[in-house]
Amino acid sequence: MNTTILTHIVRFVLLFILQVFILNYLEIGYGIHMMIYPIFILLLPVELNVFYLMLIAFGFGGLIDIFSDTFGMHASAAVMFAYFRPIIFKLFAPRDGYDILMETNMFQMGFGWFLRTFGILLLIHHLWFFILMIFRISEILYILQMTGLSAALSFILCILYQQLFLRKPKKEA
Amino acid sequence: MRNFLAFLRQFRVILFLALLQGIALTWYFTFLQYPRSQYLTSANAFSGAFYEMQHEITEFIHLKQNNDWLQKKVARLEARQVENLLKIDRENITVNDTLYMVQYVYTPAEVIKSTHTMRNNYFTINIGSVQGVKEGMGVFGINGVVGTIHSVDLHMSTVKTCLTENVNIAAMIEDSGEHGFMKWDGKNPRKGSLTGISNDRKVKKWSNVITRGSAGTFPRGLPIGKVQKTAPIEGKPLWDVTVLFAEDYRRIQRVFVIKNLLLEEQQRLENNINAPK
Repeated sequence: MNTTILTHIVRFVLLFILQVFILNYLEIGYGIHMMIYPIFILLLPVELNVFYLMLIAFGFGGLIDIFSDTFGMHASAAVMFAYFRPIIFKLFAPRDGYDILMETNMFQMGFGWFLRTFGILLLIHHLWFFILMIFRISEILYILQMTGLSAALSFILCILYQQLFLRKPKKEA
Repeated sequence: MRNFLAFLRQFRVILFLALLQGIALTWYFTFLQYPRSQYLTSANAFSGAFYEMQHEITEFIHLKQNNDWLQKKVARLEARQVENLLKIDRENITVNDTLYMVQYVYTPAEVIKSTHTMRNNYFTINIGSVQGVKEGMGVFGINGVVGTIHSVDLHMSTVKTCLTENVNIAAMIEDSGEHGFMKWDGKNPRKGSLTGISNDRKVKKWSNVITRGSAGTFPRGLPIGKVQKTAPIEGKPLWDVTVLFAEDYRRIQRVFVIKNLLLEEQQRLENNINAPK
């Protein structure tokens, strides 16, 4: 149990540093703004109560807000992500339900599951974030462009993160 | 009462979501409406310390570039020195220092944090109220205007840059003298727009856009950029002037904070206009 908590704390710090000190500085153009921290909320334990989930997401998003001068946009979007996580999880639940011992990463749950759940959650998160950021109906196309492109890049980034930092399961013979 | 409790139990997740969203959105919209009333920004001591650390690590990467900039700046200033000017008529040109009075003082600062992809971009610089920075002072880069001071802490301050929607720096076109305010559409960090230019006169392409100095924030004539394009605004007798910024805000490292020594005098005079006689 303690190692699980420690893993999450280390992941918290790592993703925070990645987001605030590196990703915030990358500019690709076309309104792309990459965000890697939602993967942290996805990888929190499945059995975690949705209240704690939203509270943790709020705290994490708020901390990123303070460091990147975004005034609550990340906090709001992260809370949306956390709110929809149990709903989407239920929608795409495996046949025998979730194993409490398993972590919801792409190796243990399979890439298809990861693509569907995390893809949808990430789109919700990014859409909410960019709607808040622009906050103008007349620029809806620009919002959609930013959301689509940023979500695609963030998704690839999260796959890379899992490939690099997560333990891969041993192949069964 | 029991019904109420049952209601709470049934919708507790949604209510909790609404609570957290309420806090976050209040934070965001308070900032949008009253940008000056902010306290949770990167200018606070806690996050400021982190950025100071990061800045120390990445500083050397830009060393060469900064040296080039400084050299250019020195060269430009050197050219203005009286010793370097040729005296054409020794009788008429004398340097009398008492004829000039210093009005603007430049304090050098380093940018320790900057963004350029958001809708409103703020820089954090490493001088604060201890060094005499006050809210509303002008910030100038090496090539052009950067913005105005947004909030100040002891050793740090945030800058509201030209890359914010309503930076509202008073600007004018150098040749014709027509003036307006700078705005930014949130898309391209190289281009801003100058609003309030009436369309009964032609605006020449590539003419210089400079500060007007009317608010006392900047001296008159600091470069902002060049006119790249003019387009008519539908339904208004105004030009939509696209300005190519002189400063590249994506790479800026060193800035100067401009202090106007005569600002109080100007404000006192201008307040008299509205004061009842």
